[in-house]
Amino acid sequence: MAGLAFGYLAVVLLVGWMEGLTAEMIESATRTLSGQLQVHDLDYRPERKIYDTIGGRDGTDVDALVQKVASDPAVEAAAPRVFAGGLVSSGEATVAGLLVGIDPEREPRVSAILRAVVEGRPPTVGTHDIVIGIEMARQLTVGIGDEIILVVPAADGSMGNDLYTVAGIFSSGLAELDASYAMLPIGTLQALVALEPNRVHEIAASVSDPWLAPEAADRIAARLAATELGIEIEPWTRLRPEMMDYAQLAQAWNGIIIFIVFAIAIFGVANTMLMATYERRREFAVMLALGTSPFAIVRSVLIEALSLGAISLVLGAVITFPLMLWFYNSPPDLSFFYGDYTFFGALIRPRLRVELNPQMWMWTAVALLITAVLAALYPAARAARVPPADTLSGL
Amino acid sequence: MNRVCTLVLLLLVTPTAAAYGQESAADIIDRVDRIMRGESSRGTATMEVVTEHWERSMTMEIWSLGTDYSLIRITAPKSEEGTATLKADEDIWNYLPRVDRTIKIPASMMMGAWMGSHFTNDDLVKESRLVEDYDIVISYEGDRDGVEMWEFELTPKPEAPVVWGRIEYQVRKNDLMPTWARYYDEDGELVRTMTFGDFREMGGRLVPAAMDMLPEDKPGERTSVRYIEVEFDLDIDESYFSLRALRSGR
Repeated sequence: MAGLAFGYLAVVLLVGWMEGLTAEMIESATRTLSGQLQVHDLDYRPERKIYDTIGGRDGTDVDALVQKVASDPAVEAAAPRVFAGGLVSSGEATVAGLLVGIDPEREPRVSAILRAVVEGRPPTVGTHDIVIGIEMARQLTVGIGDEIILVVPAADGSMGNDLYTVAGIFSSGLAELDASYAMLPIGTLQALVALEPNRVHEIAASVSDPWLAPEAADRIAARLAATELGIEIEPWTRLRPEMMDYAQLAQAWNGIIIFIVFAIAIFGVANTMLMATYERRREFAVMLALGTSPFAIVRSVLIEALSLGAISLVLGAVITFPLMLWFYNSPPDLSFFYGDYTFFGALIRPRLRVELNPQMWMWTAVALLITAVLAALYPAARAARVPPADTLSGL
Repeated sequence: MNRVCTLVLLLLVTPTAAAYGQESAADIIDRVDRIMRGESSRGTATMEVVTEHWERSMTMEIWSLGTDYSLIRITAPKSEEGTATLKADEDIWNYLPRVDRTIKIPASMMMGAWMGSHFTNDDLVKESRLVEDYDIVISYEGDRDGVEMWEFELTPKPEAPVVWGRIEYQVRKNDLMPTWARYYDEDGELVRTMTFGDFREMGGRLVPAAMDMLPEDKPGERTSVRYIEVEFDLDIDESYFSLRALRSGR
């Protein structure tokens, strides 16, 4: 009985934890900067050339396109972006940087990068504000208010260069981001790299549930097909296939956990029932001698197993659900045990985070019940075939 | 005394003359390099860059001293005027007149394009170090379309900090003028070809006045450098190639 209860606890907790880890990874990877959904020109990926803006050379009505992407029911918000690569320099120090032109108003609803500003403030539209990563700030030895030079190959072949002021410093926890990314107001970066205001490289969107991103992408693609812009709309599952693979691997692991727990449950129940029916063989012999049909005995043993299973599960649920809710609402902090780590370019916090998945709980319960009944089949058959005369005579 | 003088003279002259046919491949490359640079030089050139997306042309003044120093200052168009690049030993600095700042190119950006051209910053640093960084053998010697040529194969020395897997270099035998250089990556794929042409007398030397860089992966794109005038062996010293000189724009 305790075996089944703890089996239930183990499945729900371990699967919940695995799903929590996967969710943490996906959220970290998509929320930090990239968004769960991205719109690009068809030619943009994988080379990410500065010329391949949405709508090609002529650009497009950016605001209208952002509106259209944001109007999908699953999409929370969308924001345009411009990218450029160049040199970021201050005094003697120069580093290679990836410059991201963002809309300071719309960006916070799509990604967490501006919320990761730990010093100073996000950039202001229309200024030469720049927000850099904490590691870049360290390499350049600059602080808030200091001057930075950007030198960037522009879209017209010239070398765009100008002075900027450090408005903020962000710390995302991701080494690559913190060392080489810099954010500017989108119009400021467009001016530096000689792109007109209607030319952007990307529209990124956040989706309420990361797993809804592929559907949302297909819906938006279908709706925008008529505009003939030559764009692609990709959810994170296609932009980051390695993360998708990992999520699937985690699911396979869940399968293995479930298999092991169920195997233990089967043997546990079968053993208990075998013992119980053996101890009660005289009782069965009397019943059989009195004319009870073997089928009725099988039925009674199975019902017993079912009741046992049900009681165990209620017990299991009583232990499990509060534990899950507790873990969900305040995940145990394991930072004393291990620090932050990155995995597939996603930051994983040291917390025992679990995902609530009531559907999985229900199916696990049903499956464990069925397992309990299946495991009782053999003991039931044994009970039904107790030879009454021999048993009662004490043999 | 007279005999001694003659002997000394003979000793000085004959090695160059007699060894002409047998000198090592590295020596020939070194000589080609010296002809084209001199002890010091100053020249004016135009650079035309043609890419899939844009075309632009600029005029620049180029100074060099030995193999370690060079200074390039853009004089036209107006928007880029005063932009300058200083190469001193292994380092490259750019001066940006618009913001009046000098920035040093980090090692990680050495493969980046120089001024949007098909030359890299690394080219500026490494062009004078072929003999040091590569093992050089003559892969072909003889007639090519009626002209006597040497063809060299340059393979990087172990540990040499270079990006190419192999360079092929063709040089005319009679006047040591290079005709082309082909750059291959580590997989042996041709990456780019540099051609030399318009050989003419400038500053008292025969030099190729035209150089074209053609990237293999972008057909139709090119960077063409045309020397308008060059003078050699000027009276300039290292102080001319300082950061202060880079900024002052003299």
